[in-house]
Amino acid sequence: MSLISALLALRRDPRILKVPPYLSALCILVGVVWLLVLPLNEYSRNTYVSENALLPGQVHTYFTGSEHNIFRAYRHEVAALADSPVHERTQRLGDIFRSSNLKVATQKYEYHSSGRNISNQNVYAILHGPRADATEAIVLIAAWRNMAGEVNHSGVALVLTLARYFKRWSLWSKDIIFLISGDSTSGPQAWVDAYHDSHSPESIEPLSIKSGALQGAVAVDYPAGPWGHRYDKLHVVYDGVNGQLPNLDLFNTAVSIASGQMGIGCTLQRMWKHDDSYQERLQTMLRGMISQGLGHASGPHSSFIPYHVDAITLQTVGDGWHDEMSLGRTVESLFRSLNNLLEHLHQSFFFYLLMQANRFVSIGTYLPSAMLVAVNFSITSIALWVQSGRGASVPNPASTTPNTASDSKPKASTPDMTLARTATGAATLIPTASLAITERHLFLPLAFILTSHFLGLLPLYIFNKTPEPYLRLAFDTTTVVTTLLPLATALLFSKFRRPTSQETILMQCFSLLLLGMFLSALATLNFSLSFLVGIFASPLTFVRCISPPPPNSTSVPGLVMRNRKAISGAVVGLLVLLNPLVVIRAATFYWGKDVVDVLVQAAEGWHVWGLWTQVVIWLVWWPAWFAGSVVVAGGLFS
Amino acid sequence: MPIDQQKALLFGAAAAVRLLLFTAFPSLPNLLTGRVEISTPVTSFKRLQEGVFLYTHNVSPYDGGVFHQAPLLLPLFSLLPNPAYYPFATNLLYTIVDLLGANALMHIAESGQSATPRLFKSSRKELRWSSIAIGAGFLFNPFTITTCIARPTSALTNLFILLAMAKASQGAGSTFVLALSVASYLAMHPILLFPPLLVLCYDVRATKSKSAPNPLAFTAFHVLSLVVALGGLLYLSALLTGSWEFLGATYGVRLLLPDLTPNVGLWWYFFTEMFDSFREFFLGVFWLHVVSYVPGLTIRLRKQPLFVAVTLTGIFAVFTPYPSIADGTLYLSLVPLFRHLFPLMRYTFLASSTILYASFIGPAFYYLWIYAGSGNANFFYAITLVWSLGLSVIVGDSLYAALRDELDVERPELRGKEVKRI
Repeated sequence: MSLISALLALRRDPRILKVPPYLSALCILVGVVWLLVLPLNEYSRNTYVSENALLPGQVHTYFTGSEHNIFRAYRHEVAALADSPVHERTQRLGDIFRSSNLKVATQKYEYHSSGRNISNQNVYAILHGPRADATEAIVLIAAWRNMAGEVNHSGVALVLTLARYFKRWSLWSKDIIFLISGDSTSGPQAWVDAYHDSHSPESIEPLSIKSGALQGAVAVDYPAGPWGHRYDKLHVVYDGVNGQLPNLDLFNTAVSIASGQMGIGCTLQRMWKHDDSYQERLQTMLRGMISQGLGHASGPHSSFIPYHVDAITLQTVGDGWHDEMSLGRTVESLFRSLNNLLEHLHQSFFFYLLMQANRFVSIGTYLPSAMLVAVNFSITSIALWVQSGRGASVPNPASTTPNTASDSKPKASTPDMTLARTATGAATLIPTASLAITERHLFLPLAFILTSHFLGLLPLYIFNKTPEPYLRLAFDTTTVVTTLLPLATALLFSKFRRPTSQETILMQCFSLLLLGMFLSALATLNFSLSFLVGIFASPLTFVRCISPPPPNSTSVPGLVMRNRKAISGAVVGLLVLLNPLVVIRAATFYWGKDVVDVLVQAAEGWHVWGLWTQVVIWLVWWPAWFAGSVVVAGGLFS
Repeated sequence: MPIDQQKALLFGAAAAVRLLLFTAFPSLPNLLTGRVEISTPVTSFKRLQEGVFLYTHNVSPYDGGVFHQAPLLLPLFSLLPNPAYYPFATNLLYTIVDLLGANALMHIAESGQSATPRLFKSSRKELRWSSIAIGAGFLFNPFTITTCIARPTSALTNLFILLAMAKASQGAGSTFVLALSVASYLAMHPILLFPPLLVLCYDVRATKSKSAPNPLAFTAFHVLSLVVALGGLLYLSALLTGSWEFLGATYGVRLLLPDLTPNVGLWWYFFTEMFDSFREFFLGVFWLHVVSYVPGLTIRLRKQPLFVAVTLTGIFAVFTPYPSIADGTLYLSLVPLFRHLFPLMRYTFLASSTILYASFIGPAFYYLWIYAGSGNANFFYAITLVWSLGLSVIVGDSLYAALRDELDVERPELRGKEVKRI
């Protein structure tokens, strides 16, 4: 009992209101440090294959010898098609598949985004597994053009050769689908949408032949021209749309076959040189997080992952001594492993951060960092809620600092005290004012927060609908407008309906509550995006509206009060730098990208891939920034 | 602005929002109809369509084992044009249902039975929201709007529960019994609201007339009319479907829980995990638990019968076998009637944050479980526990506030003092 009363007495302690900012800062700090220690050996683990059926690298591969001649011939066929029109190319590729006795079909697709017209054709062939009952299938993809826009000569030729080669084996217990997609992102998307009957039939053709449930997909990206190119390493790309990842077992199998069986080094996240140092691991992990956070399609495999089809892309990089046959044997061995699967890949992790080809951390280890960052907003919002219910601040009766004004007339300033007794009989004197709960006026803060969240729909609509030539203008205009909007809003508030200090506190409270809630929900779906947005929004926890002292206050204003307009101005200036649009501009500048390209990609993502990143930016991050800025700017006009 | 004009404006705006959402996003109703949070096996609009299809083709609607709703809904919905091609009539029907519900809710608010029933005058009775504000809270609650767009039959149940409460708080005995019997006919569990609402009706009648009616005769009359009304509805259903088999397919399913489709309640997961030999026992225990609140609350809070009825709707939203957010929204819309209790409630922030968190993380976890395949059933169940926790915190906290309010009236000298457990 005495413990409970002690805790209850502590609840009344005004010092308790001073703790949350420090607690929030601690949460952010621990969250960031947590991420930084992950690459250490103590916190990360070596990868391992969980699914026993996979048996990676346990089979002998026979893709050698005469197949090489066929590959070279096909490569010349492909090179001859490089400049031909789309339907002719599709026709010829279909003929080659047909000559291997496979069922072939084509698919036309057309998308519109940012005023552009994306149209092309997919061609695919189905190998019915001799031991299969057409209930399961695995997919081998080569996009006609890779992500960089180069023609995927050797990749397409390799798929054609493997189709001919796989057809001769009797051991397939799953159907194999060979897909040559028109491009690297929208082609696979159109195909996989149509495979699952969720395409929009007016612009995308349905698939005329199908097989069973897709169990896995592997894409090959090998753009070497008709005379070949020996490569150094395999770059394994694994990010799916919206930051969803394939099962770690698929990645592990690919890495263990390539490096263990074939002796080809594997690399990820464009880390061409990786000496396994702490820094390199951290860099790999951070690149992975940024890629996951952006949620864009990173290769032909990306579109498959939202359909719960685990998929990766194998990309050849560098100059070395590995040739196309070793890539072919890697794919052969990988398909033999996938062929062994008795059920859908489910054993291993779906949420992980990779820091090297054979080192990872799983969700249980890294999730707390994003959650801590999200929780910091909730803590501050609870503190602001409590603060909004307390009346005007009471001078601390136990304060030893001399209060010049109250010294002259001590009787008048002695606060009204209430005697509180704990169960043990100990008594404390508490200022009555700090016990009273004042009525909260919720309407204005709630209306403001809801409006600002709905306001985010406007830029979302603008950026998804504006044609490409006007995107730069739209971006610049929006940047200027959103930078000035908080000041204008605060000015309007001060002219027409000056919010009370309680309402200002409640505005910030609700804004942070929603932000914390969205980010913690998001952390379970896309950890990296939640973490990145949380870090960029973290200053919003600490900014406050500095309202002027009440007019009848007798105490001498402190340093902050005397310079409150200057401080508010400085904080507003700081917040301008954290405007999501300014952050996007700075990020594109840092990576040397054109902002229009990014916006075009994002709009394509919205219309084609079902990308959700911009929803998070415009309906979660931007409104929180806007509300925080309006609250701070209120200090300028009061 | 006069009150009628305000009301017309409010209803016009609410209807416009609903019809706009229906027409601007034609795929939204079907998307929401499929959500387990809104549509349960016993209220789903899709299953109703199946029942209507079988009914119009002269097959018993309960043959497929899919349809578990009351038979009298079938002629009503078969009169409407097919919602797959002409959805407007159905949309309009559900919009009107919401508006009628709001109207009933505003009548409850105007009756003043929440703060000043016959036997009890709250010490904070001047603290109340206008009926317009309460109606707006119901009509613009996002949960109500989603429910309306998803078109489950629980919207109709909610309407009749609100009507029964409104009629009881106006002292209109026969219409109250009629409304409550329709609500019970549709969803079975609203019959548990009969005792508190009967007390409420009695109190109002006693206030209005000079001499209080004889309690025994009053009770006997209303129980009898409830039996007659329910019996009439059931007999009509039997005539309509040609046999009594609908009883097992509708109320039997609600009682015995054969369909374990996930919902926001607590039962489905528990009964998925259970060994069959314990099933009957726990079905009994769970139902007994729900029912046991009725006599306890009605007796303890005899002086505030409307509060008992409202609290029971909150308990139904948590502890019945097939709850959905439609049940939650009914309770959350009724709570603002008790504005005078808000200063006494201690966990409003906690409870509303919990509900807010649950309503965002819930769909995310369901997505992880069903679509992404990277989560499992425990994810979704955990979040439904949080949702139920949020609702039960409001139920418990408002109960505390109501008791404290009674104490403040009985012992004015204790006002503002900290309560202590002895």
